[in-house]
Amino acid sequence: MPQVFPKALNPIAKVVVLGFPLLLGSAGLTGAAFYRSSYATGVDEILPQPVAFSHAHHVGQLGIDCRYCHTSVENSSSANIPPTKTCMNCHQQIWQGADMLAPVRESYRQDKPIEWNRVHNVPHYVYFNHSIHIAKGVGCVECHGRVDQVNLTKQHATLLMEWCIACHREPEKFLRPRSEVFSMTWTPAKGGVWQPEDFFHADSPEAQTLIGTPRPTTQQELGALLKEQYKVRDRVTLTNCSMCHR
Amino acid sequence: MTPTTPIISPGATITAAPARLPDPLPRIPLVWGPDTYETITHQISRITEKPQPWWWWPAFLITSGLLTGGVLAATYLISTGVGVWGSNNPVNWAFDITNFVFWIGIGHAGTLISAILFLFRQKWRTSINRFSEAMTIFAVICAGVYPGIHVGRFWYAWFMFPLPNANHIFQNFRSALLWDLFAVSTYFTISLIFWYVGLIPDLATLRDRAKSRSRQVIFGLLSLGWRGSTRHWRHYEVAYLMLAGLSTPLVLSVHSVVSFDFATSILPGWHTTIFPPYFVAGAIFGGFAMVLQCMIPARAAYKLHNLVTIKHIDVMCKFLLATGSLVGYAYCMELFIAWYSGNPYEWQTFVNRAWNGDYTWAYWVMMTCNLFIPQVFWIRWCRQTPWFVLLVVTCINVGMWYERFVIIVQSLHHDFLPASWGRYYPTWVDWLQMLGDFGLFFTLTLLFIRFLPMIAMAEVKAVLPMANPHYHYLPADRYLKGEDGRYPTADHALAAAYGPPAPPRTIVPPATEPVPAFIPTPEGTGQPWGAVAEFANAQDLLHAAQAARQHGYTHLDAWTPFYVHGMKEAIGRTRSRLPLFTLAGALTGLAAAVTLQFYLMTYYYPTIVGGKEYRSWEAFVPIFFEMTVLFAGFFTLFALIGLCGLPRLFHPLDAHPTFHRSTQDGFFLTIEATDPRFDVDQTRDFLRSIGGQHVAVIER
Repeated sequence: MPQVFPKALNPIAKVVVLGFPLLLGSAGLTGAAFYRSSYATGVDEILPQPVAFSHAHHVGQLGIDCRYCHTSVENSSSANIPPTKTCMNCHQQIWQGADMLAPVRESYRQDKPIEWNRVHNVPHYVYFNHSIHIAKGVGCVECHGRVDQVNLTKQHATLLMEWCIACHREPEKFLRPRSEVFSMTWTPAKGGVWQPEDFFHADSPEAQTLIGTPRPTTQQELGALLKEQYKVRDRVTLTNCSMCHR
Repeated sequence: MTPTTPIISPGATITAAPARLPDPLPRIPLVWGPDTYETITHQISRITEKPQPWWWWPAFLITSGLLTGGVLAATYLISTGVGVWGSNNPVNWAFDITNFVFWIGIGHAGTLISAILFLFRQKWRTSINRFSEAMTIFAVICAGVYPGIHVGRFWYAWFMFPLPNANHIFQNFRSALLWDLFAVSTYFTISLIFWYVGLIPDLATLRDRAKSRSRQVIFGLLSLGWRGSTRHWRHYEVAYLMLAGLSTPLVLSVHSVVSFDFATSILPGWHTTIFPPYFVAGAIFGGFAMVLQCMIPARAAYKLHNLVTIKHIDVMCKFLLATGSLVGYAYCMELFIAWYSGNPYEWQTFVNRAWNGDYTWAYWVMMTCNLFIPQVFWIRWCRQTPWFVLLVVTCINVGMWYERFVIIVQSLHHDFLPASWGRYYPTWVDWLQMLGDFGLFFTLTLLFIRFLPMIAMAEVKAVLPMANPHYHYLPADRYLKGEDGRYPTADHALAAAYGPPAPPRTIVPPATEPVPAFIPTPEGTGQPWGAVAEFANAQDLLHAAQAARQHGYTHLDAWTPFYVHGMKEAIGRTRSRLPLFTLAGALTGLAAAVTLQFYLMTYYYPTIVGGKEYRSWEAFVPIFFEMTVLFAGFFTLFALIGLCGLPRLFHPLDAHPTFHRSTQDGFFLTIEATDPRFDVDQTRDFLRSIGGQHVAVIER
């Protein structure tokens, strides 16, 4: 029989066969990297919106509190998108003729909500509740990033389950005093003193002894203390399936 | 070259059986008739090389049509949701799991034939093991469809495997369903490896026979450059033994684990300890039925009567009788225990099943097909008449499907609470999906017959009388007869009608082109690679190798179409070190399984399911076993490839005009130029002096 394959193919064939597991492994790693990429998760993607609303301007420059617009965030599972009325509170006084705000005025005139495109879309089988996270001292900035520096709203976190779980396993690393929840710039190193609104029951003896005293300045100490104060549950309970999937 | 295949009716030529059987009884060869290495190679390879018989295309059209139906049904299911199936409360498992268990069961015969019969040195398996192993793989593919689609979200099928994922969650390793996944995927992987390792020498045969360049390339790549070197055979034989050893516990474990899906629940009709042995016996029973279902038509269509003899069918029917009776015993014992336990729920289920329920008809179809009908195999005529066997195995296949249907649907439709009782009605999608499975199975079988050697040629050659140096040839008129000149049994008469076996040839067939004394190779270096000589048969080669060793040569190799006993010692090699790699693989797999399960279940994501402890190690045992076997199998495969230095697609020896016979019917000895005693002229003369033909020195 004549030679079918050239001599040079021998080493190549060996590399291919013995490199096959490597090939499979790298295919898996590529898939994993893609799954987490901003392309797949939508992180930093800027969706087209009817009005070019800037959080950087309203929050960062004007210093409007989150709750001025997202009124239900402390009491409801959803941090609502404000009605057009909220915009018009100010914009019937200032910039009332701006072209940029034409869709807002149109919405107000016709009594039809502005149709924003949703930026943070948690899967329907996840029962996410804003109010409990606010109540237990999770800052807005932990999930939404520095919205005071972002012009057009975009997704900050991956919203993958591994991201949720990372915090549910070690909540103490992410807790802050309740009075600092809406702050964009708070860090544990800033310290400060305990405020009455840091506690569920400011009149409890424990709170009374703490109020006015300096807060711990490391997240480790502060987190442990807050976890106990806010009755944040243990790791196993927080990562129970039915905590988020009901 | 087609061997004659006399068609005689069983028992036609027997004279009256003698009162006393001769001692020793003449041994009936496994291959009937005067077959040689050459005729067997030709008979099997020819099937894949020539156009198929007329019926192949209509058959393929029908099966691929059914397969298309199944694909459409699955597409409809995935695009719409599982609601298109008839499964609903209370019968949430129905056709899907019935078909899954049915197909997984079919696979077991292949593994039993290829692994357990190999370990028990049942050499008759050589004629049917390739076919049965292929069926195992196709059946497991059919079964594997269901875990993928039965939850309706095909794109999440990878959730079944413990892969690091963005959800940070892992499977519950205490669940029988996860054991099942590990059992089935390990089973599939090991079966595939076993099948492929078995195919390598035969793929090389097809490569060496190929006329067209495309076939040469395809089979050249698939065979990894196998050329029948004894240095490779010594690893190969051990690897095959290791894989057989790994597959053997799988035969028993896979269907045991499948039965745990049911037995670990509390449903009356499922919650019983007899399930594992009952399921395993049923699986082997159903598997043998399916092997015969496919083998009998293939044997007739491709005239394989000399290789798959009436005795093979006879023995397989005895297997059916034995396993069928075991299954029948389990049916009766289930009924007995339901009564004897005094459990009213259990008894209610079985009264409903066997006497007055909605599915009583299905129960009696099962009993008739699986227990009563196979009892005909007590009669020799029934075992040795192919068309009748085909009829019976068809009944058994139907019966085995109904067995799963009865266990699953009947048990589910009546549970503890009468308010939730209800019937199951399959929809057209259920039926289409089920037919699609049969389409998939038979399409793959037809393609296998078309493209791959359906009988393991290298193994059959090794069991021919001519491969046995101690075979005692009798004159043709006394072949298989006793001292009294009569055939001792009807089987002897049947075998003798094919003619006595051929002795090994004594002269080397001439080369089609003259063999030069020095053969250059493409891109050659001008230096010699070594010297090669052809010998007439295995014994001559063995003696030649011994002579070369005595003469002081050390860098020897012998090239044979099958593994010749004693050859590795003759070329100065010892036992293969391959089992060490298998052991390393097994230990790696076990360590991986222990780490994986304890880490995930007790540390990484501790969850309490079913009230079991985090460290409920007993529940981890099935996956300890499965991963041990899986890793050992992979290590064995890669050790075989690595130790043999495969793939070696180019080899200087291919330039030799007759060397392509080394995978068919030729026996070659080579002495490499690296040998300290090698000298171009002296070595060539030496090879001639010990009887070598077509002697040449090959360029490096």
